[in-house]
Amino acid sequence: MIDQRDTPVNARPNIGLHRLAIVLSFMTIVLLGAGALVTSNEAGDSVPDWPFSFGRWLISSNHFVANVRFEYSHRVIAGVVGLTTLLLAVWAQLTERRAWLRKLGWIAFAGVVAQAGIGGVRVLFPEYKALIAVPHALVAQSFFAVVVAIVVFTSRSWSWEHQAKPDSPKMPLRKLVAATVGAVLIQLVLGAGFRHQAFGIIPHIVGALAVTLLIVSTVIAVMRRHGDHDYLARPAKTVLVLLVAQLCLGVAAYIARLASASDPQPLEPMISLTVAHLVVGGLTLATIVVLALRCFQLLSQVREESGDPVGAPSLNSSARGAAV
Amino acid sequence: MIKRIGIVLAVVALATALIAIGCGRKSANKNADGKEDGATKPLYASKGDEGTITGKVSFDGVAPAPKKIDMSQDANCAGAPGDKNADDLVVADGKLANVFVYLKGGVVDQKSFPTPSEPVTLDQQGCRYHPRVMGIQTNQTLKVTNSDNTTHNIHPSPKSNQEWNKQQSQGAPPIENKFARAETLVPVKCNLHPWMKANIGVLAHPYFAVTGKDGSYTIKNVPPGNYTLVFWHEVKGEQTQAVTIAAKESKTQDITYKAGATARATSLEIGPALILP
Repeated sequence: MIDQRDTPVNARPNIGLHRLAIVLSFMTIVLLGAGALVTSNEAGDSVPDWPFSFGRWLISSNHFVANVRFEYSHRVIAGVVGLTTLLLAVWAQLTERRAWLRKLGWIAFAGVVAQAGIGGVRVLFPEYKALIAVPHALVAQSFFAVVVAIVVFTSRSWSWEHQAKPDSPKMPLRKLVAATVGAVLIQLVLGAGFRHQAFGIIPHIVGALAVTLLIVSTVIAVMRRHGDHDYLARPAKTVLVLLVAQLCLGVAAYIARLASASDPQPLEPMISLTVAHLVVGGLTLATIVVLALRCFQLLSQVREESGDPVGAPSLNSSARGAAV
Repeated sequence: MIKRIGIVLAVVALATALIAIGCGRKSANKNADGKEDGATKPLYASKGDEGTITGKVSFDGVAPAPKKIDMSQDANCAGAPGDKNADDLVVADGKLANVFVYLKGGVVDQKSFPTPSEPVTLDQQGCRYHPRVMGIQTNQTLKVTNSDNTTHNIHPSPKSNQEWNKQQSQGAPPIENKFARAETLVPVKCNLHPWMKANIGVLAHPYFAVTGKDGSYTIKNVPPGNYTLVFWHEVKGEQTQAVTIAAKESKTQDITYKAGATARATSLEIGPALILP
């Protein structure tokens, strides 16, 4: 991952926080998959109360049947993710020197609490399920992006001294990759809107075209300008692979959904394809976030008239000296 | 950047709360004019000259073989006696069952009609709703019973009435509820067992029927007048006929559904264009 031209400047990165953030990111992927299973199995209203489930925190085995398995598991996993996020925020507060990263830990915790609240509103107000499910999906993916960002910020590679590279003044990669992150996030929300029937498939298809264009443009720009630098090239290649997989899964999931329109209940392969589509969408967002952060770390603005770099990358300077 | 992320999260949470709470729940017992259904209409007074509409609903073509329901996710359902095939399209000897037939227009929309005091029962048995399609009058009691050895939830998703979602364990007492506004038809679902679906036609008058397995229906005590006779089927969609009933007349109104037609959304219509409160 680290380029040979880069050198370590901090011998004490915050390894513990980094490992916890990695664990949390994997748990969040599991949570996203569990949420997708709830939607795909039409299990969202199978437990009609909240925050309790059938009036209890721990339900009996009699209740843990059929669609309740998906909804209750989603709630339990969400609870574990919430507690782990609290642990991460406290850990960052106690061990992290960078104030903005400590704040980011608390923002992640606020996000997971807000997400729990939105999920509760979704259960208690079923008549607005389509509208509420969209922000529920937005906050879920945003939370995942924040956790991935914490993984990046606490990584050993982030604390290394990288050779600053000039960004193109004509089509700055930093702006392009930032726009791609935004587009992927919007696309994930459009997908959620379609799944929850807030709107039809057309916005999601248009979003897919836009995201494909942006990701391909970003990857081409990265490979042309910095293809020899693994630190940027590797996430760029990964996001391209994920994009291809995501497009295939999207088409397959849609065809499966059409084919299952007359089925008496949600069945395979529609369920698995839809869940995989959502999870790979989350992974695509995570990878593009990694690429974006590294671009912002490594690439410096260039004065258009002179071609000289404008100062040092802002994040890199503050990334050093992670652990207290 | 961190402040921006925080602001975005706060705005999203606030917007969600406003959407859910600020919009408020739907008015349970008022119509689009803000008046209660039937409250301002004069009560219908019988002159003893009412007629009858009977008929049969036929199915033209070969009905697709019913799909098998997978009840394996709940052993109580899988082990329960009874049919395990989907019952959304029931065709026997060329006749179509579970068609909701009702009158609209004319006297039935201009007058109000007394609400029956006896409840209408929707039973859950063999992890199926019985009946699959039913009618009820506004403010008439809907009694939901659970004859199964498992938990269900009853979740009607009306557009005009108040949506509700209640859990009912095995042996639990019946759940009673009412629909205050006319609405054809209200889908009902058990979210624990997603194959469990029913449809309830809510009308402000008693002139409705549901076709039996032989495709036949009867609507009795119809006041003389001109009406639209509506046939609704959850898979095959809606058809209408103009009908005039003279004093004490018995009229036969048959109709045929073609095998190819479907009311199900396909292709790009699989989701609605946009739904806002």
